[in-house]
Amino acid sequence: MEQFLRSLSELFSRLPHVMIKSKIPLLLFFSLASIKMVELIYSETIFDLSSEAFMEEKSPAHRGLEEFRRQFGSDRSIFIIYKPTDGNLFSQKSLHAIQELTQELENWQDLDPTEYPEVDLQELGHIRKVISLTNVRSLKSRDDTLLSERIVPRSLPSSEEALAEIKRRALKEDDYASVLYSQDGTFGGIVIDTDFGLVLEEGYLSAIDAPSAILDEGFSSFDISFDEGAIVQKREFEDLDPREYLSFQSTLEAICDQYSHLFEFYAVGEPPLMVELWRVLEQLEKLGYLMVFIFATLLWGLFQSASALVWSLMTIALSIVWCWGISVFLGAEITSMIGLTVLLIFAVGIADCVHVMSAYFSLRQEGFEHSAALATTYERVGLPILLTTLTTAIGVLVLATSKLEPIREFAFMSALGVVLAFLFTITLLPVFLDIWHPKKSKDARGLTNRLDRLWQKQAVVSKVLVVAFAISALFVASGWQIGLYLSSIGILVYWVVNYSEQIFCSVLSTVYRFPTQIIIFFALILGICLFGSTKVFIDTNLTAMFREGHPLTKAIEVVDENMAGSQTMKVMIDTGKTDGLLDSNTLFAIEALQSSLENNYPETILRTHSVVNVVKKTYQVMNNNDPNFYEIPKSNQLISQLLILFSAADPSDRRSLVSDDFSRAQISINLRNMGSYDYKQMFSEVEIDIEEKFHHLESVYPKIEVVLTGTVATLMVVGDEIARSQYHGFALALVIISLIMVVTLGSISGGLMGMVPNALPALLAMGLMGLFAVPLDTDTLLIAPVILGIAVDDTIHFITHYRMQLSKSRNISAALESALREVGKAVIFTTMIIGFGFAILSFSDYLGFAKVGLFGALSIFAALLCDLFLIPAMIIIFKPTFHIKHVDKNINYQASGI
Amino acid sequence: MIAAIKILTAVVTAFLMSMSFSEEQTGQDIMNAVERMLRSSNDSSFAQIKLSSCRFGVTAGRITCAEKPRVKILETVTMNLGVDNKDTKSISITREPASERGVGMLNYTYYQTDRENQTWLYLSALGRVKRIATGASDDYGEPASIFGSEFTTEDVNYGNIEDYQINILSQTIQDGRNAWQLEAIPVTKKAKRSRYARTVYFVDKERYVSLRSEMYDKYGKQLKRSISSRVEMMNGHWVARSVTMFNLVSNRLSNMAMVDLHAGLSVNEDFLTQRSLIDSAYRETVLNQLRSQTK
Repeated sequence: MEQFLRSLSELFSRLPHVMIKSKIPLLLFFSLASIKMVELIYSETIFDLSSEAFMEEKSPAHRGLEEFRRQFGSDRSIFIIYKPTDGNLFSQKSLHAIQELTQELENWQDLDPTEYPEVDLQELGHIRKVISLTNVRSLKSRDDTLLSERIVPRSLPSSEEALAEIKRRALKEDDYASVLYSQDGTFGGIVIDTDFGLVLEEGYLSAIDAPSAILDEGFSSFDISFDEGAIVQKREFEDLDPREYLSFQSTLEAICDQYSHLFEFYAVGEPPLMVELWRVLEQLEKLGYLMVFIFATLLWGLFQSASALVWSLMTIALSIVWCWGISVFLGAEITSMIGLTVLLIFAVGIADCVHVMSAYFSLRQEGFEHSAALATTYERVGLPILLTTLTTAIGVLVLATSKLEPIREFAFMSALGVVLAFLFTITLLPVFLDIWHPKKSKDARGLTNRLDRLWQKQAVVSKVLVVAFAISALFVASGWQIGLYLSSIGILVYWVVNYSEQIFCSVLSTVYRFPTQIIIFFALILGICLFGSTKVFIDTNLTAMFREGHPLTKAIEVVDENMAGSQTMKVMIDTGKTDGLLDSNTLFAIEALQSSLENNYPETILRTHSVVNVVKKTYQVMNNNDPNFYEIPKSNQLISQLLILFSAADPSDRRSLVSDDFSRAQISINLRNMGSYDYKQMFSEVEIDIEEKFHHLESVYPKIEVVLTGTVATLMVVGDEIARSQYHGFALALVIISLIMVVTLGSISGGLMGMVPNALPALLAMGLMGLFAVPLDTDTLLIAPVILGIAVDDTIHFITHYRMQLSKSRNISAALESALREVGKAVIFTTMIIGFGFAILSFSDYLGFAKVGLFGALSIFAALLCDLFLIPAMIIIFKPTFHIKHVDKNINYQASGI
Repeated sequence: MIAAIKILTAVVTAFLMSMSFSEEQTGQDIMNAVERMLRSSNDSSFAQIKLSSCRFGVTAGRITCAEKPRVKILETVTMNLGVDNKDTKSISITREPASERGVGMLNYTYYQTDRENQTWLYLSALGRVKRIATGASDDYGEPASIFGSEFTTEDVNYGNIEDYQINILSQTIQDGRNAWQLEAIPVTKKAKRSRYARTVYFVDKERYVSLRSEMYDKYGKQLKRSISSRVEMMNGHWVARSVTMFNLVSNRLSNMAMVDLHAGLSVNEDFLTQRSLIDSAYRETVLNQLRSQTK
């Protein structure tokens, strides 16, 4: 193994020379190929930013959702809650305003566009139905008349008595209470049904429009035959791009704003949620730019070389472009995971480049000429970079076991990106460095040195003024929080760059003096983390995704507290037989399920509604409103006729509950917001309940299918499943990476010794989350293997360098010191760049990213402490030789020269 | 002999219609003529209608039911009244299926826009009749489905033509016949309650029968399409005896087949009251009298 690794290092040392020798054809090839990649990106990229992209297509919940949409239309409704400023929902002023708002939304074409110059009123074309207190009807029986009457008349009364009568009547309506008004009459609700997600796929042609299709002769002869084998056209809908919600939501907000002096508005439902998530992505884009700014500034600050900065960024940019181009060429669709892929390639690419640059700079300072420095650099860092590429790729490839296509694509794309970053670092970077290489630090011609000299010449007052100006500019440009953060980074970098020698001396001195204490200290931390990680729980909750006081969180809280709940779920019932819903047994099963749902989850499920409610209500109405008749009649004939009556009185309501052929129906469930863990529990419990309640119908309806579904709930359950599989995947990644280290280091003890400092950073994040009861959610767990991959990098660099030096010097002290001095600096640099870059995410309003930023940065810095203190302490105590013979194991503190 | 007279009447009517429009035919004129033809064919009529509904599919290039169709057999008596016979009273009684036998619907449709149409429904299983009302004079009820089929009340009744802006789009060939292609766009408040923002008709130029119509929503998406077949002379009027309504959203169709139609019968207006819904003995007696007139 040792021989093999040595040959590999030699191969890496020869690579720069080979590449530089053929730099013209090489650059030509890479330039042309890169142009092709850019062209591919522009011409072939297909974005799929829909939430459905994250649903497993074959899952019953997803199929149920598709069927629901085909039958009953879009489930992407917006629920607007309003609180009148006069405190009375039923005051004439409030009712009049809501009446006007409802009409404006229903007849948006009549609005004057000049009154809304900022928005496009055509966006409201997505509205299919608006339901509010002022247009909803109630079925009443008065004398011989069945009245489908408005609860609030079009012409509003002005007398207090008449308004009080409206309030009394409204609050009596069980079907609308808590949906269109709160029980105490202080909050109102408007339901806006949309057609989002119901746009037919391009090229969809109805079967009857097929050029050769003719009507069967039976239609003319009054004897219509049927063929069960006839192909019924399935309508497929285009994936919904959540960006469509943005302009719609803005227009809706503009209309509602006209009434903001009368009401406080809160909006919930999938569209507002997706809009908020999209705004988060927009904020993330800004934070991403800031991250690149931090990467670039730190790169320049740490190396004080423009070429080091430009070539590093160029290498990383090419890796991203190629990764994207190859992926779309292979037919991959780009999902919202692309952001994470770019982030990962950036982090890994930076680490690769920093290690190369750091070694190159050290060698140049030691007096090596450019070519020799390059060769020696690649001899030293080539192998560790290869290893870190492998471990990071494996870290992300673990995600390829996911059942979900976007996660699998993310895994493959990221692994490809990491490999490309490695390939460009070993092939292109030496060529770039040969074209424009960093000057020796004492070279007076360098721009950096000229700036440095200029700086040194300044008086203290001028320096203070310049620094104060720079800090003020940062505060003004990015706000006080980010400004403070960036300023702190600046000061820290200044300290590290100027006092690096002292820092290393202190580290070495501490490690040599207190190795046992250091190990005990880290063991203690490890123990606490292990204990904390046993308390970790996996849960994704909408309200926990955003910071306190965020409009969406507040809206969810208001709706959950005062109305029927901010979430909706559906139970889709398909009897597979025409008139199946006219069978009393089917209706009894639905009634039993509704009761069971309401009784088993009294704190969560606040309302259920189905055709059963309609049948019972109509039966009661037909019997002079006698409450004893609020039941399902046993006669199928009567059920059938009651539904004919209801269809005649309120056809659209009937259509929204049961299909025209009475084979399918839905139960609509209003519930409070929950975490993914509870949703998952509910899904599995309800599935058992469904089986129990509908099983006996299978003999009559062999094709019967009853499925619980709902977009947000389904996504949460999917998220929970992803998180759980990633939790196990994370452990798998840890094992595989350990194995790689054992194999490459040629020693079990060495490999395991490397894994302790690797596991600790990851365990630290999990331990802290467990100790502080912060749930692990989908976002955090998606990035966990990525963090592990990055954290492992520095350890690998450290141990590989130590091993190589040990092989050369056969002296543990000398190898350790060399590793600390040469790799230590690069490790500090990469940690600072990536750690501070990641930490910027902590400022995101979306806690999913904020947690990733905070805990990710913590892990990366913890890994640095492990590399600087724990590994050296372990080397001093355990004296690993990695099967290298004739090693001097004496730890000679003085020999280190400190 | 009677048949020959009826045919002659129809030919003369059609000829006079085409004469009157030969100089300048507006969309409004054409649709009024279609509406008159339909109204005349129904006046004082007794009809047996077979209403079949199913999910449709395609087999060997033929559009057919992909499942056993739900069939309803209805008997309908219709009478035109009021100024220019433009108001309509009708009663429909369900004969099949057994679960709906005896269910009846009584409709009074008024030409005047500001007068609310009236509907009573009788449920035989409960023995009760109820008037269906929207509850306020400024509300216009949603078009109701006809016995659970894809046809709604607005599909079978053109209502007041004045409520629509009608444009002639082209002159074309439809089902091998010369036809006008017209579009009807609701303009009045009442018409705006329609489910359709625009309806395109293909009207037979000679017979004034709609051969095909396409219903669009306000976003320009076609919701439904009706295809007429077996356009025949019945009782002196051209009638599409089979009309198939396709719901392009749900992929379901309903076929309304005029199995039997006899117009110009002697119908007593008293029959078109609630009594006929509730009193089955009275109803059957009158219906038997009408049946005997058709022989």
